[in-house]
Amino acid sequence: MNNKKSLLQRAAAAPHIVWSVLFIIAPLIFVIYYAFTDSEGSFTMENIKNLAQPSYLEIFLRSLCFAFLATIICLIIAYPIAYFITKASPKTQKILIMLVMLPMWMNFLIRTYSWMALLEDSGIINTVLKLLGLGPIHMINTEGAVILGMVYNFLPYMILPIHSVLSKIDTRLMEAASDLGCNHFQVITKVVFPLSIPGIISGITMVFVPSISTFYISQKLGGGNFDLIGDTIERQFQTAYNYNLGAAMSFILMILIIISMTIMNKYADDDGGVII
Amino acid sequence: MNEKKIIELKSVAKSFDGEVILDNIDLDVYEKEFITLLGPSGCGKTTTLRIIAGFVTPDNGDVMFDGVKINNVPPYKRSVNTVFQKYALFPHLNVYENIAFALRLNKVSEEEIYERVEEMLAMVNLKGFEKRDVNLLSGGQQQRVAIARALINKPRVLLLDEPLGALDLKLRKDMQNELKNIQRKTGITFIYVTHDQEEALSMSDTVVVMANGKIQQIGTPTDIYNEPENAFVADFIGESNIIDGVMLDDYRVKFSGHEFNCLDKGFAKNEAIDAVVRPEDVDVVEPEKGMLCGIVDSVTFKGVHYETIVTINNFKWMIQSTDYVAPSQKIGLYIEPDAIHIMKKSEFSDMFGDYSSFSDELEHLSDITEEEEERE
Amino acid sequence: MKRKAASNIYTVLVFIFLYMPIAVLILFSFNSSSSTGRFDGFSLRWYRELFSDAATMNALKNTLILAVLSSIIATVIGTLAAYGINKMKNRHLKGGITAVTNVPMMNPEIVTGISMMLLFVFVGGIINSKTVLGFGTVLIAHVTFNLPYVILSVMPKFKQMDKHLPEAALDLGCTPMQSFLKVELPQILPGIISGFIMAFTLSLDDFIISYFTVGSGFETLPIRIYSMTKKRVTPDMYALSTLIFVVIMILLLLSNISGDKEKKTLTLKQKKRRKIAIISTFSVIAATTLGLFIGTSFTEVVTVNVYNWGEYISDGGEDEDGVASVDVNKEFEKYYSKYLSEQKGRKIKVKVNYTTYASNEDLYAKLKAGAGGYDVIVPSDYMIERLIAEGLIQPIASREEITNVIKNYDYLLREPSDGETMTKEETEIFQKPFYDNGEDVYSVMYTYGVVGIIYNADHVSEEDIGGWDLLWNEKYKGKILQFNNARDAFGTAMYKLGVNVNDPTAEQWQDVLNELIKQKPIVQSYVMDEVFNKMESGEAWIAPYYAGDALSMIYQAEDRNINLGFYYPQNEEGETVTNVFADAMCIPADVSEEQKAHAIAYIDFMLSVDENYGSPAIANAEYIYYASPNRMVYTNSSYLETLDGDEEIIYAPIENNIDELFNTYAYRNLSSKNLATLNSNWETLKVESSSFNGTIYIISAVIAIAIIAFIVFIAVRRKYRRKLYWEQSPIAIKKASKNTPSDDLSDTVTIAIKRSKSNKD
Repeated sequence: MNNKKSLLQRAAAAPHIVWSVLFIIAPLIFVIYYAFTDSEGSFTMENIKNLAQPSYLEIFLRSLCFAFLATIICLIIAYPIAYFITKASPKTQKILIMLVMLPMWMNFLIRTYSWMALLEDSGIINTVLKLLGLGPIHMINTEGAVILGMVYNFLPYMILPIHSVLSKIDTRLMEAASDLGCNHFQVITKVVFPLSIPGIISGITMVFVPSISTFYISQKLGGGNFDLIGDTIERQFQTAYNYNLGAAMSFILMILIIISMTIMNKYADDDGGVII
Repeated sequence: MNEKKIIELKSVAKSFDGEVILDNIDLDVYEKEFITLLGPSGCGKTTTLRIIAGFVTPDNGDVMFDGVKINNVPPYKRSVNTVFQKYALFPHLNVYENIAFALRLNKVSEEEIYERVEEMLAMVNLKGFEKRDVNLLSGGQQQRVAIARALINKPRVLLLDEPLGALDLKLRKDMQNELKNIQRKTGITFIYVTHDQEEALSMSDTVVVMANGKIQQIGTPTDIYNEPENAFVADFIGESNIIDGVMLDDYRVKFSGHEFNCLDKGFAKNEAIDAVVRPEDVDVVEPEKGMLCGIVDSVTFKGVHYETIVTINNFKWMIQSTDYVAPSQKIGLYIEPDAIHIMKKSEFSDMFGDYSSFSDELEHLSDITEEEEERE
Repeated sequence: MKRKAASNIYTVLVFIFLYMPIAVLILFSFNSSSSTGRFDGFSLRWYRELFSDAATMNALKNTLILAVLSSIIATVIGTLAAYGINKMKNRHLKGGITAVTNVPMMNPEIVTGISMMLLFVFVGGIINSKTVLGFGTVLIAHVTFNLPYVILSVMPKFKQMDKHLPEAALDLGCTPMQSFLKVELPQILPGIISGFIMAFTLSLDDFIISYFTVGSGFETLPIRIYSMTKKRVTPDMYALSTLIFVVIMILLLLSNISGDKEKKTLTLKQKKRRKIAIISTFSVIAATTLGLFIGTSFTEVVTVNVYNWGEYISDGGEDEDGVASVDVNKEFEKYYSKYLSEQKGRKIKVKVNYTTYASNEDLYAKLKAGAGGYDVIVPSDYMIERLIAEGLIQPIASREEITNVIKNYDYLLREPSDGETMTKEETEIFQKPFYDNGEDVYSVMYTYGVVGIIYNADHVSEEDIGGWDLLWNEKYKGKILQFNNARDAFGTAMYKLGVNVNDPTAEQWQDVLNELIKQKPIVQSYVMDEVFNKMESGEAWIAPYYAGDALSMIYQAEDRNINLGFYYPQNEEGETVTNVFADAMCIPADVSEEQKAHAIAYIDFMLSVDENYGSPAIANAEYIYYASPNRMVYTNSSYLETLDGDEEIIYAPIENNIDELFNTYAYRNLSSKNLATLNSNWETLKVESSSFNGTIYIISAVIAIAIIAFIVFIAVRRKYRRKLYWEQSPIAIKKASKNTPSDDLSDTVTIAIKRSKSNKD
């Protein structure tokens, strides 16, 4: 067939390309521009240098740790649940998946806010604990509360990709493993788990990225005591008007994420396959 | 042949969602035997295999291994390995690791693993493929890996579930030979499931023909071919003209309005029977010399022979002959007594025989149901 | 069986975790009191309030318009793009475009948000517009982050489509257009629909990106919720969330049930019906959007955009006894549309577009970033000074003219009470405050007040109160709140140390900063309006806050049997040393002459005490409890009656020496050097780690080391295992996964999730 492209075929992607250049690439260039200029617009490394202060380094470290722990906890909670869901009948599976997704439609601000009501010293959980005579436990405004908020908000993003990969694993592979001598546990560690690594990777990505950049959760559940990268960036734009510093932080954040993801994808490529 | 029973199924029954899949099956499998479960889709052969492997627990009856009941022994504790339909190779492992899988579970030393894997690779002609990604292998190569993987643990019994189904014709023939050789070399009992009768006949020591969840006939390939027990077996194994007839006396049968001599006896007088005549056993002769006379409907060239359809008394006969006869020609048929096989009437009578509606469609139909069965 | 039971229990536990906060939210939406922590009885009050809350309903409408428009645009552009990209031959170009497309999906939302904000602000700077941010910018932002999801759900459909199908159609006599419409389109339609639905839900739910790119006068629901969560989330938000939850659950159930049926028997008739259903859904959505746009423009509408502090106006909310307050904005709409209609002789509808902010700095950030479109704003004293200096607000009128322009301006004149004499300055203190005493009048005072310390009398002992040092009292560690804005927080320390709040020396700056750093470990949290909830529930015991709000807290807490006290901090000499502030109504510089007239009418109305329109000035004073500079208010007997003696709290300390307090302790606009110091010190304070808790780092490190060790172990073991055969084997072929790059895979998964989120196909 003579493959002469029609005008439509040629031009179809054009609006999108223009849009991407204007509103995806250009803004990112502006982030870099602001990150390396001062308020007068002349080139400077001052912003980046500023971030090397111990207090900012601690913010980065803290964000990294919180996001890391939240991701690990999400993974630990999500994997079994995703696995159990795949074991259910198709109809139950559908309902369970729906139930996993349903909370994501609720505004996350409201959900986080209602965690406050649960966790406060005079909150619902402590009221119940007091009634049971277990005494109040201080939960709000702690690191734990912030991590809990992250886990809660992003857990579905871990469950869904893992489930979608697990549900696609050929059951015959599990039978084959069991046939070759794997007990139930070995079937999971030697076949199911290695095969679900792509799902785990995308789950980790989808939890880690929002966790490390969140700015609302720690303000509400951490009482503003645990500044994270997101909070600091937000402050530069909303109250401190230091766009340059904010842009520099965003720039570093992006690089941090790109590095983390590259490392993880590399390991997933190299090793994922041979974890038996 | 070794007469020691290795696996016994004793009135095993299984149903799924109220649908009977296996209806009280009794089957003995002997050591070092190559036994084939043959039947159309949905006949229960795969379920039988899965019961032996341990993936399915029978509702009723016993599965014995070496005389010990193993109904509740999980698959990983049975000395039985399976070559799966479409192989089920582990996509995250390369060829070497796939084959070494079972050994690694048993904490075998690396050196021994290496030796045994290499040995297996040599046996299945895959030397040098160790590092290959299994997803990039051809169907035949994947097949060999699957066999090697299943055999490395030296199981007592190897179960093969339509292992050649996905291969093209030429490859399938080669693999049949290879499988047979492997079986001979290793002396492992093979339980082989297929719906391809030719495969079954050419490879097996024993063929078990199944239909509707029941075993129709157990026997050597020759027995099954020459002495089918009922119309189903006769039709399923090779091509058959199955004609309604009446047993006049011992060695005397009447069908198509003609009386024939035959080699069968022991029927009641005037008992209605099914007479089987294989298409290749019919001789085409001059009309006046023939026992039966008919007009040629159609002739198809099949390479080795011509396939001729002749109508006699409203019954369409199939004849395979190297002689060409023109359509519309009147011909005579001559049938030797030993070409006639007499069977008792059964539930399958009248379902098969006439070639008036013969077409390939039926085969397609069976392919579809087969896929459905696989999903279970 | 045991295993099954264990897995069931686990599943149930996880779902309890997922639904616990939602259950709380649903429960409290039926609470009869406004508490979000204690259930006081069943009532539908909040559902009633929800539907009478114009601002929330408006935000809901805005959210829907934005979601519909942005997802339609994204679907059109995205579908075309998927078509075009799929047809592209150049692999590099294709890969490049795909990579760029995925950026908003992979990038943290906050980075996407600020990057777009920077672009808009920069463009605004170039075209010299102070009003770049607005509906348009949020729309652009939403389309941008919706695009990748649309493309990713449409693209696979193009890829899966048999290439020969269009050829077959052409062969059978279709024109290319017919072939596209009849053959290609139906194939990709499911992808388009799921892309649209996904984009729609994402846009509906987005907060972070909107937060940075939204302008004035356009408040989406998540943004409204955000500004509410800064103060007191009224349970009507819970009611709204409950309704949304129920609607979505029903939709999901329906789609699940119908989906089941479809698969079993999809007759031609049902297909047709489904087609009709899809078309009608689309047309209903389109019609609603169109209607929302046109509907508003049939009658002439005058919109007044007001940007005020949260809960800083009488808004018609019910009090504990179910008595509704005056909805001042509604009254204004009534009054002004009547006035305008009469004046112009045709029907004119007036709409107040009322949005809120949480601090002067928020307001300033918005104005500075170019979020124009506000007609009336209510900054505080020092901020007004700054806005005047930076030319961000315009004069309302000259001082001679002002009484002609603002009819009720005279109400701000103080009158000496019996037997008292006042200088001219003293009587004019509310008209010529220190921040606005030039030739032109830039501001009209709304309220004034004093910062004091509110404390929980049940827990804080009498001997500890009196001064600012209560905020530094180690005894109440973890129960102390501090301002979450630089000026006020530093103010507390400056008053404590006796430093001039408006021009400290470098040394003093350092002392003040150290003082706050010292305080940080005992501070529970840095808050603004969150103080209400925390004090009223007993969660926190000590907080510096504004007198008016303190009164409101005291009343609310009384209902919960919590005794709150309030005092003005004094220094050792017994002088009251604290911040006196005034909030005043101003008109931003970019407001047009036409809009300015409406803004002035609004300001004037806020001063009026016209009983036909619910006496707005009095209604506001009664509602917000701040001191009113309005003579007609503070002399009103019914107002004083409602306060029932508590007017002492809000008026007393200032009445006598108001000008002195204003002159000594009020915040002034800081010099740019001081401002820079303040900001950088605030930054230092915020990032200063208060409670270095090693455990969290140790746990992280241990887990990280364990994971690394595991990976190393795997790698070493693999190497060991390969040792025997790897070298011998002559054929090395790369892993298959290289053919399908891993990010492709994760994209597929991502999209699978997002898709399943939006719709279970």
